[in-house]
Amino acid sequence: MNHRIRKGIISLSFFLITASLSAQEKYFTKSGSISFVSKGNIETIQASHRSVTCVLDSKTGAVQFAVLMKGFEFKKALMQEHFNENYVESDKYPKAEFRGQIVNNNDIAYAKDGEYKAHVKGKLTMHGQTRDVETDGKINVKNGKLLTNAVFTILMSDYNISIPNLVKENMSNTVTITVNCTLDPLKS
Amino acid sequence: MSIKRMIIGGIVVVILAVAAYAWYQYNRTVQGLQDVRADYSVNATALINEFVSNEDSANKKYLNRIVAVKGMVKDIESGEGAGTIVLGDTTNMSGVRCVLDSSAHAKTASLQRGALITVKGAITGFSKDETGLLGSDVQLNRCVITD
Repeated sequence: MNHRIRKGIISLSFFLITASLSAQEKYFTKSGSISFVSKGNIETIQASHRSVTCVLDSKTGAVQFAVLMKGFEFKKALMQEHFNENYVESDKYPKAEFRGQIVNNNDIAYAKDGEYKAHVKGKLTMHGQTRDVETDGKINVKNGKLLTNAVFTILMSDYNISIPNLVKENMSNTVTITVNCTLDPLKS
Repeated sequence: MSIKRMIIGGIVVVILAVAAYAWYQYNRTVQGLQDVRADYSVNATALINEFVSNEDSANKKYLNRIVAVKGMVKDIESGEGAGTIVLGDTTNMSGVRCVLDSSAHAKTASLQRGALITVKGAITGFSKDETGLLGSDVQLNRCVITD
């Protein structure tokens, strides 16, 4: 009996140790940045966002980004108003979200400083539409932090964002999105 | 003859006025909030609770509004641009995240954690935490420190 209890305690403490070790497996930020650029014949549209939430699970390779559409900052006020009211309709669709997976997660040594290529695949939801997105990004492991970077392009028409005929000639349907997030280990 | 001239003159004036207005609109930059009156004044924890208890009604009330939020400085994050101030209760993971306007930069240098301040900014929404690990946040941008 005594022996069994001791065995139980040992296995319990072993469980607790491994649990605390694996607590470092998640990384996050609430102040990531996303910027986008759309170069048309006449009009270049660009904006940036500095409050992107990102969670990365280094064990499974699952990544998640969330962004509030109204948080995109433009230089020109009129562009910002049109973006929110006519294009992404941020009152109706306040959030955009990406849920995906680092396909080559096993290639990334999260405990070892260095730069790794990350092939990311997942679903982007914006303006009420969900589409598959795939891109090659970079993860730079440095002093326990992850400096992540990815660039990908989307088509506005894929997300039911229509450009009015009047300005169709001047604007591009293609949008290049750049993601930069520095992720800290999540202490739980 | 003079009537015709007046009509033509009038049309020219109207065209010029419209062009000037369009040009002004096209180049208008996003307004700084320093001199803008806040639509609401609220405590940071009360604001978070409003969004937590009913996100939809809080969105209706606050989205596109300028709000003055009073609260304790929980964190100061320097980052791209002028950085972010997080207001709220340190015992709770949720907070009010205020992305500062570039004009507010000078004031953040002397700011310390635990200080009670008022920040004026535009509410951009509520970032609800589904993982249970991060806490949910109310987000503001173009923020200036008023007090």
